[in-house]
Amino acid sequence: MSLIHVRNLSKHFKVLNRREGLGGALRDLFSGDYRTVEAVADISFDIEAGEIVGYIGPNGAGKSTTIKMMTGILKPMGGLIEINGLPPYENRIRQAQIMGVVFGQRTQLWWDLPVIESFKILKEIYKVDQKTFDEHMGMFNELAGLKQLYSQQVRTLSLGQRMLCDITASFLHNPQVVFLDEPTIGLDVSVKAKMRSIIKELNQTRNTTIILTTHDLGDVEALCNRIIIIDKGKLLYDGDIKKVNALFGAYRTLKLQVDNFNETTLQTLNEKLTERFGTGHGIVVGESEEFWTDVTIDQARTPLSDVLNHVMTNFPVSDVRIVEISMENVVRKVYDGALS
Amino acid sequence: MKGYLAVMRGSIMVGVVYRFGFIFSIIGNVIYLGVAYYLWKSIYRHADVIRGLTFNETFLYVALGSAIFILLKTYMDWIMNYEIREGSIATYLIKPIDFGLYMLFTSFGSVLMNLAAITIPTLLMLLFVFKVDFTLGPGLLIFPLSLFMAFLISFYFDYFVGLLCFYSESVWGISTVKDIVVTVFSGALIPLQFFPDAMQRILLWLPFQAVYHTPLMMVTRPDQGWEVFLPMLLVQLFWTVALFIATRMFYNQAIKVLRVSGG
Repeated sequence: MSLIHVRNLSKHFKVLNRREGLGGALRDLFSGDYRTVEAVADISFDIEAGEIVGYIGPNGAGKSTTIKMMTGILKPMGGLIEINGLPPYENRIRQAQIMGVVFGQRTQLWWDLPVIESFKILKEIYKVDQKTFDEHMGMFNELAGLKQLYSQQVRTLSLGQRMLCDITASFLHNPQVVFLDEPTIGLDVSVKAKMRSIIKELNQTRNTTIILTTHDLGDVEALCNRIIIIDKGKLLYDGDIKKVNALFGAYRTLKLQVDNFNETTLQTLNEKLTERFGTGHGIVVGESEEFWTDVTIDQARTPLSDVLNHVMTNFPVSDVRIVEISMENVVRKVYDGALS
Repeated sequence: MKGYLAVMRGSIMVGVVYRFGFIFSIIGNVIYLGVAYYLWKSIYRHADVIRGLTFNETFLYVALGSAIFILLKTYMDWIMNYEIREGSIATYLIKPIDFGLYMLFTSFGSVLMNLAAITIPTLLMLLFVFKVDFTLGPGLLIFPLSLFMAFLISFYFDYFVGLLCFYSESVWGISTVKDIVVTVFSGALIPLQFFPDAMQRILLWLPFQAVYHTPLMMVTRPDQGWEVFLPMLLVQLFWTVALFIATRMFYNQAIKVLRVSGG
C-alpha cells in the first residue's frame, strides 16, 4: 500500500460572473449568474514513502487545490485521497499529526511573537517531547543557522529567513509527509540553494516523503526523481524526471540585443548559425520583445558556450541574457506530444 | 490540552506586544465613566430610588458593565473575518487541533490580558476615584463562575459571526448589528430593570442578558439570595451549552463551503 493514494480526485468551484464597473457591481448584488470552474478533474496517482515528487504546472493549474485537499483543508467533491490509509478530510486532526505543510505565500508562525515562541507553541500542539525538540532545533541550527534569529519577531524577518523558519516548523514533529507549496517563491539564488540542500538532507536522513510544488524548474531538477505535471486541473504527465529533463533541463534561451536591428537580422543570424553548426543543430531563432532576439538552444546537441562565442564574434551584440525555459513552455511541449 | 494552553500563552504574549493599545482603552474608559457618572447623577436628582435601584447601585451596574464590556472584547469575529478572507485560516487547519477550541483559547488569552491591563485599573478607579460602595454579599462568591460563563457566551456570539464569513466573506454589517443587539439587550448600556416589564420578562430568557446582566446582578445586589441567583446561573449554563453545541454544528456545515484562494 502506497503512502499517498489519490484516485479520480476532483473539485470545482462556483464563481459568480462579476460584471464590470460600479453599475455592474450593483447588478451583481442580485445576480445568480454562476459559472463552474473545474479546479481539479479526475486526477490519480500514488506516492511511496521516501519519494520527493515535483508537482508542477502553470499558474491556476490546480496544484494548490490538490495540496489543500491532501492536507485536509478542502473537501474533495469526487474521488478519493488516502494518506497512510486514511482520508485526510474526515480525520483532519489525526492526519495533521503525520503531515507538515509549508505555504510559500503565508506563514504558519505567530507573526507578532519572537521566532522561538512559535516553535515552543508548535512543540506543545504537536506533542513533541523536549529531547526530540532539542535535537531537531540543534540540527536546524546547524543546517540553516537560525539561532541568532530566535529573539526576533517573525514579522521583522526577511522572506528567506522566514521561509527557513517555516520549513523548520513543518518538520518539527517529524512528519511522514511534508507538502511544500512554492517554498522558494521570491527567494534569491543563495537562499534557494540552502533551502534545496536542507530539503534533500531531511528527505535522506529521515526518509520523509516530500511533495513539492514550484514554478522554479531549478528546484525540480535539484530535488525530484519524479514529477507530476498538471494543467487546467488535468494530469498531463506522471513519471521519471529524466524523460522530462530532456525537455527543460537541456534547453536554454539565449536572449540577444543586436545593434542596428532590422528585418533581415533574424534571417542572417539563422543563416550564420546554420552555416557554422549545420542543420539538426537544435537551434531555433525567433523574435521576442522589441529589439531582442531569442535563440533557443538544445544543449544536448550544441553547447551553449559555442553558440554564444560564435554569435559574439560575428554579430554586433550589445546585451546578452541566458534564460531557463519557462514552466509554460514545458507544458506547451508536453501538449505537443514531446513525452509520448 | 497543553497545546491549547500554549496557544493561550501565545495570545497573552501578543497582547503584551501591543501594550500601547491598553493605555488608550483606559483613557477611553475613564471618559465613559465620567459621562455615565454625571448622566445618572442628573437622572437621580429628583428620586433616591428608580425601579428599585439606588444611584449607587445603578452607577456600579453601568460602570462594571463597561468594565466587563472591555474585558470580553477580543474582536474574534473581526480576526476570523480577516483570516478567512485572506486565506490564512489554512495555517490553522493544517495543525492537529480543534479550530473552535483554538479560537476559544486565543480569545481567553486576550481576556486575561484585558483583565490585568484594563479591568483591574478600572475597578481601582471605581473604588478610589468615584468612591462607589461595594457591599460583599453571597453573589460575590459565584461572580467569577458567572463571569466565566459570560465570557463563553460572548465568545460564542463572536465565533458564530466569524463562522458566517465562510458564507458571506464580509462581516462588517453583521458584526455591527451583533454588537448593538448585545449591548442594548444585555444591560451593558442601561440596567435591564429600566426596560418595560413585559420586555424584561422576554429579555431574561435570551442569551444576551447572560453576558452582562447576570454577573452584574451578583455584585450589585448583595441583598439578594440564592433563590434569585441560582435560576439565573442555570439560564446562563443553558445558553453556554446550547451555544457551544450550536456553533459546533454550524462549524461542521460551514467548513464544507470553505474556499482558500490563492497561494
